[in-house]
Amino acid sequence: MTHLMRAEFRRLLATRMWVGLLIAAAVLGGGMIGAMALVGPENFDPPLPGLDTETGVRSLLGILGYTAFVPAAAGTVAVTAEYRHRTAAVTFLFAPRRWQVLAAKLATYAVLGLAYGLVLASTAAAALLTVAAARGVTLGLPAHTVLALLGRISVAMVVYLLIGVGMGALIRNQVAALCVVIGYLYMGETLLMMIPGVNMLYPVLPGGATAALTDFTYVADAMSEQLGSATIQLLPPAAGALVLGMYALTAAAIGLVLPMRRDIT
Amino acid sequence: MSTDGLTVEVSHLTKRYGEITAVRDLSFTVEPGVITGFLGPNGAGKTTTMRMLTGLVSPTSGTATIGGKPYKRLARPSGTVGAMFDANAFHPGHTARDHLRVYAAMGGHPDSRVTELLHQLGLAEAADRRTRGFSTGMRQRLNLATALLGDPRVLLLDEPGNGLDPEGMAWLRGVLRGLAADGRTVLISSHVLSEVQQLVDDVVVIRRGELVAAGPWSRLAGPPAVLVTSPDAETLAATLATSHANAGTVLRVDTVGPGLLRVHGLDAPGVADLAAAHRLRVHELVTENTSLEQLFLDLTTGTLTNDRAATS
Repeated sequence: MTHLMRAEFRRLLATRMWVGLLIAAAVLGGGMIGAMALVGPENFDPPLPGLDTETGVRSLLGILGYTAFVPAAAGTVAVTAEYRHRTAAVTFLFAPRRWQVLAAKLATYAVLGLAYGLVLASTAAAALLTVAAARGVTLGLPAHTVLALLGRISVAMVVYLLIGVGMGALIRNQVAALCVVIGYLYMGETLLMMIPGVNMLYPVLPGGATAALTDFTYVADAMSEQLGSATIQLLPPAAGALVLGMYALTAAAIGLVLPMRRDIT
Repeated sequence: MSTDGLTVEVSHLTKRYGEITAVRDLSFTVEPGVITGFLGPNGAGKTTTMRMLTGLVSPTSGTATIGGKPYKRLARPSGTVGAMFDANAFHPGHTARDHLRVYAAMGGHPDSRVTELLHQLGLAEAADRRTRGFSTGMRQRLNLATALLGDPRVLLLDEPGNGLDPEGMAWLRGVLRGLAADGRTVLISSHVLSEVQQLVDDVVVIRRGELVAAGPWSRLAGPPAVLVTSPDAETLAATLATSHANAGTVLRVDTVGPGLLRVHGLDAPGVADLAAAHRLRVHELVTENTSLEQLFLDLTTGTLTNDRAATS
């Protein structure tokens, strides 16, 4: 197993994908949050509560949750690359116990996901606190709470990366897998929420569970307001974490079990 | 250096994909110390068989073992068997060294082996170039290097000569000869029969997923024929026929054209001596080895007698 993890790390570090991914984390975390804080949520169209309110800070951090498709896509690309470049056969020749290969990949990519999450969270925290200080705004949440929320978002990024790995192992075709993963996380879930009845499922969908982590209710509230339906209640943060954890486990199980007996041609 | 070889054994192997039977009740063995050619036209089931041998494809029924064990049960799979399938199984963004280092780690083989193989297979200069720019020849070399990482005693190579130029083929023949001489078990598949003719000791011929023939190439090919050009062809043919009756050997003389005979069962010196003894003129004597291609056509069209096609 340590052999396999060393191999997966070598595979990961041999291309520059990981550099690109961490740059993306800094751009989305520091860049996007910094820019939004600079403009101020109160100047958005439609306007959001300002940074000096709790809702305003939660909303800003909650938007970070919507960038989860990036690590998810990275996980999908990593796993499907083996099928796309036909190295899966070589890999399974060197490691015929296939579940171990996927376990090593999950462990390796969990580390990458954590690195992504930490870069995202730390640059976001730095940007938010710096901009707030520069604008002379007192944040609606104490700094330690902001950091705790960002910590939750980091962990959510690990989960999404693993969901991406699991979906990649399931679908195998790189383009198709990317379309499904990005399509669902970027648009699919929002579209689902427009269907009356189905939108009640939102709290237990990945996006809803992620929003629960930061108690980011803006999207859910806006949706129920627009549709004139009952307010969608997000899960408590701990339950949201549990739901996300279940998604990661399911994705991991898919990744471990599916390639077991499949013919590699 | 390998000392004791491992036998590869395929026993009643069958693979069905829905309605299509890719491999049907196939049995053969591959012995160590020699190069065995696994031959058959495209789509005969060679690749499927080799993938079943390495556990990549699950057989519908039957077994495939290496040294008595299925591939997946080997304690050190890549240290026992080196297999090579696809000529393009590389991440285009990886260098040759990256590729080998990934699999060296995976198989638990030392990194020194990577440098060693890059030199041994003539890839040292290309070692740090990304594989996306590799030529077919370089890809085949890198493929072979990957298979050799664990210094395996068994080599299963699917179409290793595909896309190689004559120089590359000569190089490959040298490498494979050396590997077999070390006592390794070497199975190479090919649909280009002329390509492996000078290389193989044993052959396994399949067609439509079924065994056609297996055994030492020399036995399957039979003794060479002699092509005789002579202005006295008719008399010579009659003389040969008479001498055959006296010697009691199996001898066959075919008249190929005017003044041209093909003699089976007697070698060139024998024909020359006989002609001299009877004061018959011979202008040219050519020893004709059976080509693998000819043998293959004979086998698959069923013109060969059963004893030569007998499976071992």
